[in-house]
Amino acid sequence: MSLFHIAQGIEGSPVGQTIRESTWLFPAIEVIHLLCLAVLGGAVLMTALGVFGVGLKTPTPKEIEVSTRPYMTTAVVAILITGLLLGASEPVKLIDREAFLIKMVSLVLALLFTYFVFNPIVRKGDTGVRARTAAGVVMALWFTVALSGRWIGFS
Amino acid sequence: MNGFVNWLAGTQWSIALHESLYMYSITESAHVMAIMLFVGTIMMVDLRLLGVSYRKTPVSEMTNRILPWTVGGFIVLCITGVMLFYAIPIRTWHSIWFRIKCVLLVVGMINITWFTFKVERDKAKWDLGPTPRNARISAGVSLFVWTFVIVFGRLIAYNWTDCDQNQSPFIQQIEDCKAVPADT
Repeated sequence: MSLFHIAQGIEGSPVGQTIRESTWLFPAIEVIHLLCLAVLGGAVLMTALGVFGVGLKTPTPKEIEVSTRPYMTTAVVAILITGLLLGASEPVKLIDREAFLIKMVSLVLALLFTYFVFNPIVRKGDTGVRARTAAGVVMALWFTVALSGRWIGFS
Repeated sequence: MNGFVNWLAGTQWSIALHESLYMYSITESAHVMAIMLFVGTIMMVDLRLLGVSYRKTPVSEMTNRILPWTVGGFIVLCITGVMLFYAIPIRTWHSIWFRIKCVLLVVGMINITWFTFKVERDKAKWDLGPTPRNARISAGVSLFVWTFVIVFGRLIAYNWTDCDQNQSPFIQQIEDCKAVPADT
């Protein structure tokens, strides 16, 4: 069974069909997806700016990370759910698009890097070169996810 | 305004931007990326004012160190937003979503002006403690307005409310469909 067949299967599923055939369902899910992007961006930025010393000063990056974590996690969960739904409505079209491939690869990297590298470094109270490098990488990764995501619609 | 958008649509740069291979997509992408900067940061300031997050951070620190990033995002949004309108003036002007978005933008601007010149004037008194009622109202209005600016902004892209899609008299009235030039 090839990727194409899997995509065809998803596209023909009740979920995929319902979203594709509805006028307002796709836009509604898309809007939630976009709103969560703003929240995710804000959460990443607050912590990264703190690490770079150009954001909040009183709370340490560690404290900023604790404050933003609920927003970050909620946004990530909602983005994944809405993203899966959007993808299920047109998977055959998506698997051929370069932007979609770039988005999926950078998404996996961004998630792994955020939760297994950047957040642990910040939580340890590190604000040195290592933390700054990680902050730069984490912003670049999420930026790539958002940009390639937007680009799916243009390609 | 109808005459203005009709004229705008015929200008050389509007057509060039609309028909360019990459420039329109790049502008649209920059607009979306700047949302993260603008809404992502203003939301955090609002959450502090509402007393939901960053409770131990002085309000003045949020406004002094975070709002400059918000303003930066807003400038990018305004420039790219004007460019996007310029690229597709007639269709955008006659979009119900665009019109609602504009009303919300005005409400958002009034709210920011009210906060800057009235609400935060005596913030030295409540910099560290719980915020007064007006500050919380302003923060709530901000969260509401910017959320729905994103919602309606995104909906402009979909064509099911376009004038050429057989709209109800109500929608036609709001979108001023009669004023759409026949050749578009």
